[in-house]
Amino acid sequence: MTTLRRFLSPLLILALVLGSLPVVAAPQAGSGELIGTQAALEAERSHDARERIHEVLARDDVREQLSVQGVDPAEVEARVAALSDAEARQMADRLDEMPAGASVVGALFAVFVILLVTDILGLTNVFPFTR
Amino acid sequence: MRNRASHTQQNARLAGVLLFLVLSTLLGGCASAPRLSDDTAQTLPTRVLHDDVPFHGQRDYQCGPASLAMVLEHQGVEVSVDELIPQVFLPGREGSVQPEMLAAVRRQGRIPFVIDNRFESLLTELAEGDHPVVVLQNLSLPAWPLWHYAVVIGYDRQTGELILHSGEEPRRRESFRRFDATWSRSERWAFVALPPGELPSAIDAEAAIEATADFERVQGAETALPGWESIAERFPEAPMAHFALGNARYANDDAEGAIAAFRRAVARQDDLAVGWLNLGLALRERGDVAAARQALKRASEDDGPWQERAREALSSLETGVASD
Repeated sequence: MTTLRRFLSPLLILALVLGSLPVVAAPQAGSGELIGTQAALEAERSHDARERIHEVLARDDVREQLSVQGVDPAEVEARVAALSDAEARQMADRLDEMPAGASVVGALFAVFVILLVTDILGLTNVFPFTR
Repeated sequence: MRNRASHTQQNARLAGVLLFLVLSTLLGGCASAPRLSDDTAQTLPTRVLHDDVPFHGQRDYQCGPASLAMVLEHQGVEVSVDELIPQVFLPGREGSVQPEMLAAVRRQGRIPFVIDNRFESLLTELAEGDHPVVVLQNLSLPAWPLWHYAVVIGYDRQTGELILHSGEEPRRRESFRRFDATWSRSERWAFVALPPGELPSAIDAEAAIEATADFERVQGAETALPGWESIAERFPEAPMAHFALGNARYANDDAEGAIAAFRRAVARQDDLAVGWLNLGLALRERGDVAAARQALKRASEDDGPWQERAREALSSLETGVASD
């Protein structure tokens, strides 16, 4: 089993890599056969081919995550398409840790007291009545 | 007995000192009011208010879509909060994340520019640009975050207050000190939404180029072209600005303009292989074989990622000439 896996995984990796390369290398629509601005900027930033492949996979990952988070399936594609490569990568890597504007505070009493004090000190802005 | 009492006292004192130390390191970093450099302090107007920014009160946790609606509407985009909610809101997180806020702006045909993360830049942007700024704040402490998007529409240096459309409150006033404490927790993240052709004042060449390239990817070269023109004008020393302008012009059937821009790009950076490559390809397309050969030769000398493409183009140029 292990030997089989050892034999199969490099093949699988190779297949995946080769499969995604044309997508990376594909010239941008609209700019003829010239090298597109995005591709040039990307090449300047990361010479590592693996990183660029990672970016292609990232979009699939984000698509899946958005669906899991309850985004309307009809909207998922348009939302993913509007992300830049770097943004797609960030979302794929750490959506869970990303600040989401308008979350709620875990309402513990101790926390309430601490935040009340920091609010009065002018370090936070949780309770409108402290201003 | 007395000995024990003094022991307890000593322990209590130690604990107090420790608590003080912990608190002051925890809170000290963000406790001071932000200062302006002398230069900025002299040139910035005392009071700025963009009174024409419409207000949309947030419902539930939707300060993201509400903030977007305010800045977009101010830019003349007709889009409602209800239309924006499915474009940015993440039901699972009960909020909206930064990349998607920027992505939604792109979908509405405006370029989202993330501006320099300094308090001074925020005030400069409000004073010099005629537009509001969206900011991300953590209204609570890092341990129990309360992330919040708001729209800064002005400031008053006399009272030391920022003026924001925030949550359910239009024209809310927050002291510089309190605002900066909450804003610094997002690493002072802020962006403006502008039509292609306009640039924020608080931005460097690299960030402006990246923002416009990301926009072009979504909206196409035709829409992005004015943006590239203004970047090349504002940052004439940036090779990539001219390179990108060349590409956008080429895609808009302006081969002459493209060639001129590519020439400027390689004049700024002599070893910009991709610039030589596109210059050569554009010249070849025009039938200028001698000049194309020269440019492609330069491109093929560099052993970077474009060497192979340059060699191919060069050899096809030679065979093309031979068969003529």
